[in-house]
Amino acid sequence: MTCSGKWARIAYACLAWLVCLALVTGCAAGEKVGGGAAASPREAPPGYPSTGAAAAPGKPADADSTGLLAMNDVAKAKEVPDAPHSAAMLIYTATLAMAVYQVEPGLDAVEHLAREERGYLSARQDNSVTIRVPRDRFEETLARIEKLGDVTHRDIKAQDVTDEFVDLTARLKNAYGIRDRLNELLARAAVKEALDIEKELGRVTEDIERMEGKLKLLRDQIAFSTITVSFAPLAVQEVHDTSLLAPFPWLQAIGLQSLLNVHQ
Amino acid sequence: MRVVDCLAGLLGLAAVAGLAGCGRPFDIKTANGLVELDNQEPEYGFRAMAPEGVVMGVRVIDTSGHGDLEFWTRATTLRMRQLDGYALLGTADLKTRDGTPGHELRFGHDEKGKPYLYSLRILVKGKRLFLVETGGPQAEVERYKGALDWMESTLKLD
Repeated sequence: MTCSGKWARIAYACLAWLVCLALVTGCAAGEKVGGGAAASPREAPPGYPSTGAAAAPGKPADADSTGLLAMNDVAKAKEVPDAPHSAAMLIYTATLAMAVYQVEPGLDAVEHLAREERGYLSARQDNSVTIRVPRDRFEETLARIEKLGDVTHRDIKAQDVTDEFVDLTARLKNAYGIRDRLNELLARAAVKEALDIEKELGRVTEDIERMEGKLKLLRDQIAFSTITVSFAPLAVQEVHDTSLLAPFPWLQAIGLQSLLNVHQ
Repeated sequence: MRVVDCLAGLLGLAAVAGLAGCGRPFDIKTANGLVELDNQEPEYGFRAMAPEGVVMGVRVIDTSGHGDLEFWTRATTLRMRQLDGYALLGTADLKTRDGTPGHELRFGHDEKGKPYLYSLRILVKGKRLFLVETGGPQAEVERYKGALDWMESTLKLD
C-alpha cells in the first residue's frame, strides 16, 4: 500500500461521512419545516382526544380529554341567532288621538297607509285602528298619518329591551347546552336513570320553547313598530291642562249637540 | 184723553220693538230659506234654522270685562279639540258690519257616524262676548253656505 493510496482512502471516508452528515442534517431540517406544518389539522388516533382545531365529527372543537364539556363551552357551540346589530334594541310604539271627523275614511286611510309602508293591520275597532310597520318606516308613517286629520294628542315611546334581549339570549344558550348534555347522558343511561333524565329533559325543553317564544316576540316588536290611531276625544281624566276645564258654563255647553237641539 | 193716547202709543211701540228683537245687544237678519225660532233665551239670543237641520245661533255672554278676544279664542279652541274631539279645519279673521274684529273657527265632527260642520265666530265688544254658531250636516251646510255667509255679514253689535 502506498502513501497516496492511504490518503485517498481517508479522503473518501471523510467525504462519505460529510455526505451522511449532510443527509442527516437535511432530514432533520426537513422534519423541522414539516413540524411547522403540524399546526394544520391532524386527526388524533382513535381513542385519543383531539388536540387540533378539527375535532372528531359530532364533537365540539374544545372538548377536553374526558370528552365532556363545560356547559358554557357547549353553549358556544350551539347556534342561537344573534340580536340585531344595533347599539340599542328599541321597541317603538305610538298612540295618536285624532279628532272625531270622517272616522270611517280615516280608519281606511290608516289601514291603506300601513300596507303602502310594507306593514300590516293588527287590529281595528269602530273608532280605532292599530297597525305594525317596519322599524325604518316608523317616522315616515307617523308623519303621513298626521297629515290625514287633526291630531289632538300624541304619545310616542321607545322601550329599550337590550338588557332583556342579551339576558334571554345567554339563558337560551345555556339551556341548549343543558339539553345536549342531558341527551348525551340519556344515550348511555340505564332505564331507571333514563326516566329521571327524560323528566328533566322535558322541563328544559319547555324552558327553551318559552324563551324562544319570548325572543321571537322581542325580535318582532323591535323589527315592527306599533302605531295605534284612535278617533276619539280625550277622557276628562286624561286631560292635564286645567285650562280646558275652565269654569265657564257656556264653554261646556257650546257645540253641535246644543246648537242643533232646537226642541229644548 | 191725550195722555192715555200717548201712553197707549208708547206701549204699542214697546211691544213692536220687543217683537222685533230690539232688546238684543246685536242685530242680525234671517236669510230666505231659514226661519227664526222664538223663545230661545236665555241660552241663545237668536236662533234660526233651515228645514234640512242647518242651524245658526247667537249667544251673548257677560264677561264683566274679563278676557280678551285671544283668550276666549284659545279657550274655545282647546275645549272643542281636546275635550270634544272636534277637528279644527281652519281659522280666519273677520269684522262685523259695525267693525268689531273677531275670529272664526271652522270645525268638523262626526255625529252618529256622519260628518257635520260647525263654525264658531268669536267677538268681544265691551263687557260682552258674542258667539255666532253655525252647524249641520256637512252637505247641507255647504248647500246653505251662501245664505249663512249673508246672515253673518248682516251681524251688527251694539
